[in-house]
Amino acid sequence: MSLLSVEEVSVRFGGVMALQDVELTADPGRVTGLIGPNGAGKTTLFNVITGLQDPTSGRVRIEDQDVSGLKAHQRARMGLARTFQRLEVFGSLTARENVLVAAEIRRRWSKDGSNPKEVAETVLERVGITSSANERVDAMPTGLARLVELARALAANPRLLLLDEPGSGLDTQETEAFGDLLLELAQEGLAILLVEHDVELVMRVCELIHVLDFGKKIAEGPPSKIKADPRVQAAYLGADEDAAPEEEVVPS
Amino acid sequence: MTEFLAFTITGIVTGAVYAVAASGLVVTYTTSGIFNFAHGAMGMLMAFLYWQLRVHFHWAAPFALIAVLFVIAPLFGALIERVLMRNVRGSDTGTSLMVTLGLLLFLIGLGLTWWKQTEPRAMPEFFAGNTVRIFSVNVSWHELISIAVAGAVAILLRLILFRTRTGIAMRAVVDDRDLTALNGGRPSRVSALSWSLGTMLAAIAGILLAPKLGLSVLNLTFLVISAYAAAIVGQLKSLPLTFAGALALGLGEAYAVGYLPTSGFLSHIKPSLPMLFLFAVLLFLPQVRLRVGRLVGTRTPRIPGWREVGVVGAALVVGTWIVASAISGPDLASFGQGLAFGIIMLSLVLLAGYGGQTSLCQMTFVGIGAVVASYVSHGSSPIGVLAAAGAAGVVGAVISLPALRLTGLYLALSTLAFAVLADNLFFLQVFGGGGGKVFHRLSLLGVSFDGQVAYTVLLSVVFVLMGAFVLAIRRGPFGRLLAAMKDSPAACATLGLNLTRTKVGVFALSAAMAGVGGAFFGGLGGSISSNNFVYVQSLVVLLMVTIGGILTVSGAWLGGMLLGPGFYIISKNVSIENITFLGAGLGAMTIARSPNGIVGQISGAFDRFRKQPAREDDVADVELTQEVESIVAPVG
Repeated sequence: MSLLSVEEVSVRFGGVMALQDVELTADPGRVTGLIGPNGAGKTTLFNVITGLQDPTSGRVRIEDQDVSGLKAHQRARMGLARTFQRLEVFGSLTARENVLVAAEIRRRWSKDGSNPKEVAETVLERVGITSSANERVDAMPTGLARLVELARALAANPRLLLLDEPGSGLDTQETEAFGDLLLELAQEGLAILLVEHDVELVMRVCELIHVLDFGKKIAEGPPSKIKADPRVQAAYLGADEDAAPEEEVVPS
Repeated sequence: MTEFLAFTITGIVTGAVYAVAASGLVVTYTTSGIFNFAHGAMGMLMAFLYWQLRVHFHWAAPFALIAVLFVIAPLFGALIERVLMRNVRGSDTGTSLMVTLGLLLFLIGLGLTWWKQTEPRAMPEFFAGNTVRIFSVNVSWHELISIAVAGAVAILLRLILFRTRTGIAMRAVVDDRDLTALNGGRPSRVSALSWSLGTMLAAIAGILLAPKLGLSVLNLTFLVISAYAAAIVGQLKSLPLTFAGALALGLGEAYAVGYLPTSGFLSHIKPSLPMLFLFAVLLFLPQVRLRVGRLVGTRTPRIPGWREVGVVGAALVVGTWIVASAISGPDLASFGQGLAFGIIMLSLVLLAGYGGQTSLCQMTFVGIGAVVASYVSHGSSPIGVLAAAGAAGVVGAVISLPALRLTGLYLALSTLAFAVLADNLFFLQVFGGGGGKVFHRLSLLGVSFDGQVAYTVLLSVVFVLMGAFVLAIRRGPFGRLLAAMKDSPAACATLGLNLTRTKVGVFALSAAMAGVGGAFFGGLGGSISSNNFVYVQSLVVLLMVTIGGILTVSGAWLGGMLLGPGFYIISKNVSIENITFLGAGLGAMTIARSPNGIVGQISGAFDRFRKQPAREDDVADVELTQEVESIVAPVG
């Protein structure tokens, strides 16, 4: 039994099938990749999993419980946390307050007696943004703000972490450190679902990769298999073999 | 059977006029994204202008109609769009809300000034006296015309929107304004047109309704709540559903008149039906999806430290004492009134300023608080204050529940509906139509605050305590949570926060504060009456705190002072009637775009003068565990 199972999820926006019968699992202790060209439906799938978007059909399970009917905050209380592709930081607060709010919200529903301030400091330290903790987040560069979102998600102490393009806006060195952090978190037993355009990063940290294209899953497997898969190459390079690669690596 | 048929025809006629008004609302909302709260007031103004030409200047009906419907109304609509709405577009719902509410109050003020309500006026029906017999029921030509006009409006709107270039451009602007501009469309011209069209439709509805409803500024203005209700049925998008909603509402009203008892509680259902209808519709609307993909970070004013609060608070109380001792009579009374309004406005600082929610019924909570406190020992005991807080808080929680699942606009609508509902069903009952209720001033621990100066000083103490309470919330976890929720509700939900419960909590807390305000407001004049709490007062209070600065405690104080002594001094020196409506309306239209009103402007100017936003060494000195808010923003 996987921690997260997505079963036959379809989403229709008017005449467009944003997702079509998508199946996917994520397990504790490893980073699962979710890749695909722009518009493939990755963010929509995240919204379905976290409860921000109702699927037209299909189910989402956490362990053996069907959570399809639950609201976003109820799913969060079962251990889901996420970051957003288009930032959803608390812009009028500082980085520290962003993380603190998350820790306080968690304490309120979990009643676990944790000290939000301690949690916040630990997480800030871990993500490596303590030096910027007193800056207002709406004035931050995107890469840093993404790390604030990651820290905020971690402050909720989740079992499953969904990351939506967390690496864009980071330079090579930062990306390297970020990859290490993901592996470390996975080793501690966290299940991570990673949407990322930086193929190098994905290949490095993910054990299992799912590939979406036009709302359909076209491949699933370990990095080596995905790299060699002709359908994946076609999806990324376009049908025309001479076409220049587009969007496969967002320059960091 | 004849009776039933007669009611049905009346219902269809009323529904037809509601449909015309509601379709105007939908047209402007869909093309400009601005919900026009002043829609009814525009219809009211046009109906009065028509009366002026038709009756007062003795023009023939066709000429008066052409002048109002095809010249004045479209020009007025285009002017409003050009001068007010164009600047508002793209800003948050809160800003456009304040501007249209400001316009609403301003137009009410104009109406009341130009057409004194003490003079009797009658609007003639079209072809008065002519009737047609339909199955043994006499139907007047005016009624038939109303139905025909609604039908024509429905067909014309359909044709305009789907068959003409302009209409297609209108729909394109709705879908994507910027893309339309890129493709050579002219979005601003299109929205000017839609405002002209909307104003024409409001004018038609006003002119058709006036003979039956009477030429009353307030009644005609708020007939539009019925239009709101109908437009909500179509979720502000669908014209066919809007027409269906209008018809259902018109029929419901007619049957209510026909079959409900003419005395007792149920007799008040009829004037309240649109509001009840609106509530019911809101209950059945689907929950809105949380929006993602916006980065919001409003500039938040600096939060003063406790020492500063103590010093300023003490200075305020002492200053109040000195000023109150120096003045007397109506001057002193207006000063006390200003402080009482300041206390009430603090509840809006918490709700709207910190929490980002809107309430158009804050004076209703004040009224509930005052009534409850007057029942408990006529207001003189502290238990009365507590009871006022409790009662207002509970009512606040209950009425906010259905609307808080939805977006801010629906909360504004349902609170407005609740305010009108409370006028009809609660305050008129309690006060028995215009009568007052005796209200004694508070005594605390054997000390009576009966003297005018003593009571004024007491009000300043209460203001300082409540202000400190609001600031304490802002500094603590709950204040942080409110700021987070304002910036990104979606992120809060995905962290496990129950948004609805939190919003209901803050709404109830704000209502309870307003209730406390009511317990002190009641003691001002020694008696309270239903006029104190009539729905427009809520709008005045909301707009005045916005003008003062809704993000800060100082803004609430300033708003109260402007509304109390400020307007009093102006009206003493300049002879302007209805200064409250005109002033609040004009002020709101002017200042709505600056986020923190006059206080924000002053502190902004002060900062530019100092040219030193934040001193770096201050930042470095802050300990990690200390409250970090003090370095959030450099606004003084």
